[in-house]
Amino acid sequence: MSMQKMEAVYVYEAPLRLWHWVNALSITVLALTGYFIASPLPTQPGEASANFLMGYIRFAHFTAAYVFAIGFAARIYWAFAGNHHARQLFLLPVFNPQWWREVWFESRWYLFLEREPRKYVGHNPLAQLFMFVFVTWGSIFMIFTGFALYAEGEGRDGWHDNLFGWVIPLFGQSQDVHSWHHLGMWWILSFVIIHIYVAIREDIMSRQSIVSTMISGYRMFKDERK
Amino acid sequence: MSVYETQGFKLDNSGKRVVVDPVTRIEGHMRVEVNLNDKNVITNAVSTGTMWRGLEVILKGRDPRDAWAFTERICGVCTGTHALTSVRAVEDALGIRIPENANSIRNIMQLNLQVHDHLVHFYHLHALDWVDVVSALKADPKATSELAQSISSWPLSSPGYFRDIQTRLKKFVESGQLGPFMNGYWGNPAYLLPPEANLMAVAHYLEALDFQKEIVKIHTIYGGKNPHPNWLVGGVPCAINVHDTGAVGAVNMERLNLVSSIIDRTIEFIDQVYIPDLLAIASFYKGWLHGGGLSGKSVMSYGDIPDKANDHSAKNLMLPRGAIINGDLSKVHEVDMRDPEQIQEFVTHSWFSYEDETKGLHPWDGVTEPNYQLGKNAKGSNTNIEQIDEAAKYSWIKAPRWRGHAMEVGPLARYIIGYAQNNPEFKEPVDMVLKKLDVPVTALFSTLGRTAARGLEASWAAHKMRYFQDKLMANIKAGDLSTANIDKWEPRTWPKEAKGVGFTEAPRGALGHWVRIKDGKIDNYQCVVPTTWNGSPRDPKGQIGAFEASLMNTPLARADQPLEILRTLHSFDPCLACSTH
Amino acid sequence: MSGIETFYDVMRRQGISRRSFLKFCSLTAAALGLEPAYAGKIAQAMETRPRTPVLWLHGLECTCCSESFIRSAHPLAKDVVLSMISLDYDDTIMTAAGHQAEAILDEITTKYKGNYILAVEGNPPLNQDGMSCIIGGKPFVEQLKRVAKDCKAIISWGSCASWGCVQAARPNPTQATPVHKVILDKPIIKVPGCPPIAEVMTAVITYMLTFDRIPELDRQGRPKMFYGQRIHDKCYRRPHFDAGQFVEEWDDEGARKGYCLYKVGCKGPTTYNACSTTRWNGGVSFPIQSGHGCIGCSEDGFWDKGSFYDRLTTVRPFGIEGNADQIGGTVAGVVGAAAAAHAAVSAIKRARHRNEEKSEEK
Ligand code: HEM
Ligand code: HEM
Ligand code: NFV
Ligand code: SF4
Ligand code: SF4
Ligand code: F3S
Ligand SMILES: [Mg+2]
Repeated sequence: MSMQKMEAVYVYEAPLRLWHWVNALSITVLALTGYFIASPLPTQPGEASANFLMGYIRFAHFTAAYVFAIGFAARIYWAFAGNHHARQLFLLPVFNPQWWREVWFESRWYLFLEREPRKYVGHNPLAQLFMFVFVTWGSIFMIFTGFALYAEGEGRDGWHDNLFGWVIPLFGQSQDVHSWHHLGMWWILSFVIIHIYVAIREDIMSRQSIVSTMISGYRMFKDERK
Repeated sequence: MSVYETQGFKLDNSGKRVVVDPVTRIEGHMRVEVNLNDKNVITNAVSTGTMWRGLEVILKGRDPRDAWAFTERICGVCTGTHALTSVRAVEDALGIRIPENANSIRNIMQLNLQVHDHLVHFYHLHALDWVDVVSALKADPKATSELAQSISSWPLSSPGYFRDIQTRLKKFVESGQLGPFMNGYWGNPAYLLPPEANLMAVAHYLEALDFQKEIVKIHTIYGGKNPHPNWLVGGVPCAINVHDTGAVGAVNMERLNLVSSIIDRTIEFIDQVYIPDLLAIASFYKGWLHGGGLSGKSVMSYGDIPDKANDHSAKNLMLPRGAIINGDLSKVHEVDMRDPEQIQEFVTHSWFSYEDETKGLHPWDGVTEPNYQLGKNAKGSNTNIEQIDEAAKYSWIKAPRWRGHAMEVGPLARYIIGYAQNNPEFKEPVDMVLKKLDVPVTALFSTLGRTAARGLEASWAAHKMRYFQDKLMANIKAGDLSTANIDKWEPRTWPKEAKGVGFTEAPRGALGHWVRIKDGKIDNYQCVVPTTWNGSPRDPKGQIGAFEASLMNTPLARADQPLEILRTLHSFDPCLACSTH
Repeated sequence: MSGIETFYDVMRRQGISRRSFLKFCSLTAAALGLEPAYAGKIAQAMETRPRTPVLWLHGLECTCCSESFIRSAHPLAKDVVLSMISLDYDDTIMTAAGHQAEAILDEITTKYKGNYILAVEGNPPLNQDGMSCIIGGKPFVEQLKRVAKDCKAIISWGSCASWGCVQAARPNPTQATPVHKVILDKPIIKVPGCPPIAEVMTAVITYMLTFDRIPELDRQGRPKMFYGQRIHDKCYRRPHFDAGQFVEEWDDEGARKGYCLYKVGCKGPTTYNACSTTRWNGGVSFPIQSGHGCIGCSEDGFWDKGSFYDRLTTVRPFGIEGNADQIGGTVAGVVGAAAAAHAAVSAIKRARHRNEEKSEEK
């Protein structure tokens, strides 16, 4: 996948970019509200009927959750409809030794063992691996555990329960699902930290455009070497 | 075969061996084996605790503030007493002082348990040892009514009432489905009550079953439910609010009134039904004074029901503390739960192992390591015991000793100690009963004495609930609403290492929990429980425990019907889940 | 089986007239959503059936499920035991002991083969050769299997029989095992709780007798009618939860006003039970109403989820122990620190690289 040409390449199509930023936003809301669901803000003064703070926080969580989940479903659709970069999030070329060698190379690059970074049109293989593990599986995990918890509130005979209710006994009981769902937040946040750091760093240090690519869709290369 | 003497009993296991397993109408699982001589008199007794759950092992590494919930589940019959003992142990270790209101509420809950547990025990676990249900069918309802009215002013006593009960009983028996009364020892000559007394007792068996559920509602109000109400290290979880907005969400005037009315009804039921029944039944059995066992020799209690909060010295405790040994009532010894030389547990005959089993361990240094095995003279196999070998390990109960003595604990022990201390609250009712039955004070040291002490204590406890409820009200009136002290709630406020002991007088006797806390977690937790004392197996010196001693020298009317064995064992109200935990 | 009293006989004996008996039957049919014709069938069944024998076995337990049972106010425990079922074996209350008691099991399991209900309180331990619970000299698990063999259905009373409960808490020294893991070929109705609510226990039994069927169960084998919702779904403190009004510390102003107990560890949001509606001891109160959070006593493994007073409870992913924020926050913190360190090294390297390039240029 190493590139040799240097002109701007259209990598990320508009729906994918839209998804990326909507997804980023929904996760931000989910993490913030999720945190305050688990560790609520200090007690509100006044009568209960005059306050709805937890209610609003939970409502925001569930709204963002629907955005997040529908977005993820749309993203899966786009994996079929979009260009081949759109499939990178879901398919790892695990049987391709060359890909693994590049994962290895990128790892060495981040450990300062390589002097010269390589160029990629799509994700670099290490980034792809990370996204697959943290974002793809992380999202699936959060959607299944999240909707299982949501189903508890929606009642035992609704469609949420029919689709996701089985998740609860799988983990043991509801409390376990809460804990794992909560851990899932940190799993995704850990990715986000690395992801944002690397995106900015690569923008500065690598030989291609990065952050602007997720905005404009075009990959620009800074030099002509291979 | 062996013959030896211990504690004034001659043990001889050469005669016919009789096995009772399971012993029923107790809490949990127990087996007893006795040897009979040719006159059907018991010459050797072996009692085996046949269950073990390992709570002491499970508690290691847990948050000390959670321990009450675990230990509460040691037993649902004496529900709450382990929880109270546990929060006291943790508070002792961490130096936490509780508010006065919390002390009153805790006392009310503990006394409530005493009343409830004693009442249920008497009617539903013990009565059938004295009462022949089938004989009640022959009773004359009118004579029954006269009997009932002669001993109590309890209103449910008309001939029609007893006739209805009898009819219901008759239909039940005729249905052929006898349910819990199936295969009972009906007609055994050891039953001594006339049919009328039997019918009255059956009626009260049913009434008590209905009423007991009312008593526990006090636990429900202060603790949220019963069995297994909730407790809190540092106080009680129920907040008090009697004046302000939002009081409906806390203990308020309506809740306090409800408690108050339950206390009144409880006192009424105990004093008008339980006590008169007890005296009536006892009057027919006062010639059957077997089962004294250790009660005339060695008894002990830790004391309980602190009048003022946070003072656990004997003078502040309403139930007496002390030990009597070798039957010397003139001297009540001080009991110190912290002294490593006083309370120790042995495992030579228990299914546990110690590094050195000739020695006992004080509970702060206690070890709980299971080791199930049968002696070489046992009959049967490891998973099919036909006969126990009491020379080897034979019970899941450890053998606790006080200064080397096997002790009896329980209501009778408390009453004997209170009596010996000349405490009028205990002495006067005992003297009243002795006089009414026209028996000497030595009659106390018997199966019947144990059963009588329990009834007296139920009444005492019911009245003391009133005392503490009034005290609670007075304190609230004085402006104190506090129910919990949270200064040392957070583990970061605790010392790196601490140890404490908590104790109560549980319905069945002296209960202690010993805890060691390290880095905010439980490092060691040991419970020595009333039925651990009473159900104790032998120790390295061959001394027998209270159950075993109490069965000695008792004649059986019919060798194949263990009625007298059950009667005496039940007089202790054995709780096996407690004993082994 | 003549001479054996039927449900109808029992009702008649209780002073219920034939007319009101038939009315009861048609109400029952209506409550079930059945056609009126079914009323006749129900009546017929009740007129001809003897009381169903129930054999109540006890394993490793604290007997508090029995204690709870006898607290039932409607129906009264007395009426259940004397009139609705035939409680032929229950070591806690039965008169007979020893071999006279054991003989009952043989008799009932033969005579009522396939027609008796097995109720289990507590559970069998499997360590120590099963001998940490001995009945009649043998492991309790043998008695359990023997009686289960010919029963119609099993009721698992309480959290012990349903999940394992306190004796199965880590490290479960006796390997206490819930009933459904030992008996695999019988319908099992779990009625969890430590203990379950009395009226829930008697309602489950009367439901089975009245409708002659097993109540509808959820995925985990609990009757939906009592375990279909969480404490939190029907908690009367829920408005305070939604408002964000909490007890922050014991005995604070919030506690005195009855605010939500979420922050002091209430497990109502994750606990399926009827406490917040049916309540306890004749509706007097329930844990939350008396100021303590729910500890989740009807849930599987509730003993091993960390402190009862923490909202965020212990999890053990890959053997690490802590709550989700401790574990996750540490991971995220380490990741953040690593990124910062990486950024610093990158900057230094880049600076050095520039210098080298500069010196090369020179
Ligand atoms: C990146 C995605 C998500 C994050 C970071 C996130 C985060 C969180 C956190 C931290 C909690 C508190 C957990 C606890 O300790 O009890 C929570 C609760 C919850 N989340 Fe999410 N969540 C995400 C996705 C979802 C989704 C897709 C749903 C589906 C509807 C969902 C539904 C819920 C529900 C129902 C709760 C429980 C609310 C309550 O107990 O009141 N979450 N979430
Ligand atoms: C919650 C926050 C975020 C999440 C979960 C997230 C997730 C992702 C994912 C899954 C992709 C791959 C897109 C695909 O192949 O479909 C991606 C790519 C990208 N993201 Fe984010 N992102 C987040 C925030 C951000 C932010 C704040 C930035 C900007 C600083 C950013 C910059 C990028 C860039 C530049 C790419 C393309 C990387 C490449 O060309 O290889 N992301 N992100
Ligand atoms: N022995 C005992 Fe208990 C009591 N009373 C506990 O401490 O019964 Ni379950
Ligand atoms: S479930 Fe709880 S209440 Fe019932 S027996 Fe077990 S420990 Fe006791
Ligand atoms: S007290 Fe418990 S169950 Fe009630 S609303 Fe609060 S968290 Fe939910
Ligand atoms: S602790 Fe148990 S009793 Fe009910 S409120 Fe919670 S399930
Ligand atoms: Mg112990």
